Amino acid sequence: MGNIEVTMGAVAAARPPDNLTASAIGSCVVTILYDPASRIGAMAHAMLSDRRLPHLKRDALDATSSSARTREGGNERRHEIRDVKYVDAAIDEMIKKIVTSGAKKGNLEARLVGGANMFPKLKSYIGRDNVLSAKKKLEEEGIEIVGECVGGSVGRSVEFSVTSGIVTVTTKF
Amino acid sequence: MHKIQEITREAAMSASKALAKLTDVPVAVGVHQLKVLSVAELEPVLAPEELVVGIYLPVAGELAGGALLAIPKKNAFALSDLLAGRDSGTTRKLNELDISALKEVGNIVCGTYFSVLANKMKIRIIEQLPNYSYDMFGAITSQILAGLTQSVEKALFVEMEFIFSPILFRAHYLLFLNSSKLEELV
Repeated sequence: MGNIEVTMGAVAAARPPDNLTASAIGSCVVTILYDPASRIGAMAHAMLSDRRLPHLKRDALDATSSSARTREGGNERRHEIRDVKYVDAAIDEMIKKIVTSGAKKGNLEARLVGGANMFPKLKSYIGRDNVLSAKKKLEEEGIEIVGECVGGSVGRSVEFSVTSGIVTVTTKF
Repeated sequence: MHKIQEITREAAMSASKALAKLTDVPVAVGVHQLKVLSVAELEPVLAPEELVVGIYLPVAGELAGGALLAIPKKNAFALSDLLAGRDSGTTRKLNELDISALKEVGNIVCGTYFSVLANKMKIRIIEQLPNYSYDMFGAITSQILAGLTQSVEKALFVEMEFIFSPILFRAHYLLFLNSSKLEELV
């Protein structure tokens, strides 16, 4: 059994006995997809709500997603990896990956973790917008959300057992 | 790096004086490490799940960005004992007064840095209110990065050593600036 760490701006799919994990989630939203019939799962760790930032510099995007790129390996993945910093693109990519791995889209169920505001007195809607964006995208795709641990002002880490389908969320408090 | 080293040294000296006034003990602020990192390289600076007190001071004006003073839990508790005049090792949980005092420390360290930066670069920097968080380092920095992604590509990382005589501890200062301004400095 291995733990696959899904870093910020990355997407991964896995089969039993692997676990998918993401640590220190703040305003980011982690979306977990699972097909209980085939026991195939996927996780996306997205940072921003959508792709409305056409002026974003290429270098900045590359720099922020280099760890994801390395983990995925290969230059040809660059464009996709860069886009999956955004919730909608990340969910598109997850669906593609999980279906390619053998899951049926109609069986998929989703769970959401994260979307906090780490500075409660700072007027920031990043976390809230990330969660809303994930919910909207999942609704468009017809995927039911069966569980969520979102919002508030607490950082979270998550472990998803692909074998059991159990999602464990931990905080430092 | 010469310019930024000079600014950092000057800011550390100014912060020492201001912190000494606040605490009424001699304070020395030293620069232990200074480097410019891409945002992707920030994660390994501290373990993402390490508990820290983070004081974040966003700025506007001619600079886009902000500064974060991240103090590891153990050091933040030690500093709180000192600031509140308690025996060392007393703090188990931060109360409102502790939080307020730590915010002031963060405000001083980040604010003096921006003052020196503004003087050296001859620009206007508008400081906003300091924001406090006590949580995992990765969770705090990821939100700052998400808010600044449109303009920030690199960050200046400074490991600072604070000596509140006789207590010594380290904290991490992160300066997030729009890249053209940061390039002028390094």
